Amino acid sequence: MKHYIKIIFILIVLCAQAPLDLVIDTNERDVQINPGISGTRVVLFGATPTGKRDIMIEIVGPPKNQTMQEKRRFFGIWLGRGKSYYNNVPSYYNILSSGPFKDIADQENLNKLGLGIKNLPLGRAKIKHSTIKQIEFDDRLRSEMHDKGQFLEKEGDIILRSGPGKVGLFRTEFLLPPNSLQGKYFVRYFLFQNGEAISYAESSIELKQAGFARLIWLFANKFSLLYGIIAIILSGLLGWIVSILFTRLKLI
Amino acid sequence: MELYLPIAELSVNPIIFLILGMLVGILSGMFGVGGGFLMTPLLVLLGIPPAVAVASEANHIVGSSLSGTIGHLKRNAVDIKLGNLLLAGGILGSFVGISIFNSLIKVGLIDLLISLTYFLFLTGVGSFMLYESLDSMGVFNKKKKSKPYHHSWIMGLPIRMRFKKSGLYISIIPPLTIGFIVGILASIMGVGGGFIMIPAMIYILRMPTSVVIGTSLYQIIFVTAIVTLLHSYHNQTVDIVLALILLLGGAVGAQIGVKLSSRLEGPMLRASLAVLVLSVGIVMASDLLIRPDETITLLIGGGSH
Repeated sequence: MKHYIKIIFILIVLCAQAPLDLVIDTNERDVQINPGISGTRVVLFGATPTGKRDIMIEIVGPPKNQTMQEKRRFFGIWLGRGKSYYNNVPSYYNILSSGPFKDIADQENLNKLGLGIKNLPLGRAKIKHSTIKQIEFDDRLRSEMHDKGQFLEKEGDIILRSGPGKVGLFRTEFLLPPNSLQGKYFVRYFLFQNGEAISYAESSIELKQAGFARLIWLFANKFSLLYGIIAIILSGLLGWIVSILFTRLKLI
Repeated sequence: MELYLPIAELSVNPIIFLILGMLVGILSGMFGVGGGFLMTPLLVLLGIPPAVAVASEANHIVGSSLSGTIGHLKRNAVDIKLGNLLLAGGILGSFVGISIFNSLIKVGLIDLLISLTYFLFLTGVGSFMLYESLDSMGVFNKKKKSKPYHHSWIMGLPIRMRFKKSGLYISIIPPLTIGFIVGILASIMGVGGGFIMIPAMIYILRMPTSVVIGTSLYQIIFVTAIVTLLHSYHNQTVDIVLALILLLGGAVGAQIGVKLSSRLEGPMLRASLAVLVLSVGIVMASDLLIRPDETITLLIGGGSH
C-alpha cells in the first residue's frame, strides 16, 4: 500500500553558542490526508550546528474526547460500569530523537521539559461510578494509546548529518495514521548538549482531512436527525435496488 | 484493502464485512429473520464498539428487510393489516426501548443489558429451535402431535378484528403486545426481532406460515427505521459506511438464501442454525463471566459524554 507522502520543509537553525540567535524558518504547509489510504508520511528536516549534539522532536495532535471503562465484578458478572471521561486527550503524540533518550538527557530533565508519553498532559477527567484514582485511568489510557500506535516514542529516528561548514542537517519522518484528526499538529524541537536543552523551536502542521470519512463524522454529529433520515433512505434504496437487480437480471 | 469506518473510528477490511453480511444474509433469506441477532454480536467480536454495532445493524436491517418484503409482496404473502398492528405496538415499544437504553447508558449498565438480553434470547430461541428441529427429524421418536386448531383464550380478548390474508378473526391485543415487546428488544439489541417475532406469530397468533415471514419483515422495516433514527439522533452511533457494506453483502446473500431455502432440507438446516445461535449466546455469556485481561480499557466510539 502506497503511503501518501508529504514533505514539510522546515529549516531550523539551532545555534548553540548564542541562543538569542535562534532562527526558525518554517515553510508551513497544509497536509492533505486521505482516510482509507494507510496514512500520511511526513518528512521533517532542517539545519543545526554540528558537534556533539542531540535533537528531540515532539509532535502533539489536536485534542479529542476519550472514555476509559473499568470492569468490575457484580454478582459473578464482569460489568463495565466505571467510566472516566476525558475532554482533552491529544489524538496523536510522537516523540522522536537522534539517540536513546537516556543518552540525551536524564529522566529528571525530560520530566521538567514535559517530554515523553508519561509526561504528556491528559487533562482532568470526570470519573463516574468508580473509586479508582485518575492516575490509574491515565496510565491505562497512555498504554492503550501506545498499543494503538497513537502515542509513540521513536528513539533514534532522527538522522544527523554534517553539512557544509559548521552547519549540520537533521532529517526524520513519521506516519500519521489514516484516522488522524483534522487540525493543528504542534511540533516542538529541542537541541540538547551535555544533557541540557540549549535551544528550542516550534512550528505546526495543519492537517486538512479532505476525506469523506471526516465529513460523514461531522455530519452525523452536527445534523444527527437528518443523518438518521439519510441513513434510512440509503439503506432502503440499496435494499430495493439489489432486489430489483436480482429479479430483473434473474441472477439466480 | 482498508476501509475507514467514520463513526466506529476503525480501519477495517471491507471484504470481511462483505462476506459476513453475505453469510448472515443467506441465513436470513433462508429462515426469514433479519439476521441482526447474529450480526450484532459478530460485529462486537470483530472489534466494533457495541453501541455502534447495535445502531448500525438496525440501519442495515432497514434495507435487508425491505428487500425481503418486496419479494414476499410479489408472492402476495404479506398481511399488511396485521403487520400494521404489530407495527403500532412495535413503534411504542421502540420508544420505550430507546429510553431504557439511554437511561442505562447514564447508569453505566448498557453493556450488561445488551449482553444479558442476547444471552437469554439466543440461548432460549436456540434451544427451542434445536428441540423443534430434532423433534421433526424424529430424534425423540415421538409421534408428531397435531397442533390444537382452536384459538387459545388470548385470541378471545375484546376488540376483535378480521385479517383476511391470514384467515384470522382475533383480538387486536395479542398482536399489539407482541409488537410492543419486539420493539423494545429491537431497540436494545439492534435487531429486527424476526427471530422472536416469527415463533410468536406461528405459535401464539397461529398465522399461516406462508404469510408469517413476509409480514414479519414488513413491520421490521419500519421498526428498524425508527430505531435507526432514534440512535442517530440521541447517540450519533449509526455508522452508515458499516451499514451499507453489510447491506451490500447481505442483500445479495438474502436473495441466495431465499432460493436455497426451497432446495435444502428444513429440519437439518434449522438444527445447524440453532447450534450457531446457541454458540453466539454462549460466547456473549463468557464475556460476562470470564475475568478480562485488563479491567480498565479504552472505550472506542462509545465516548458519549
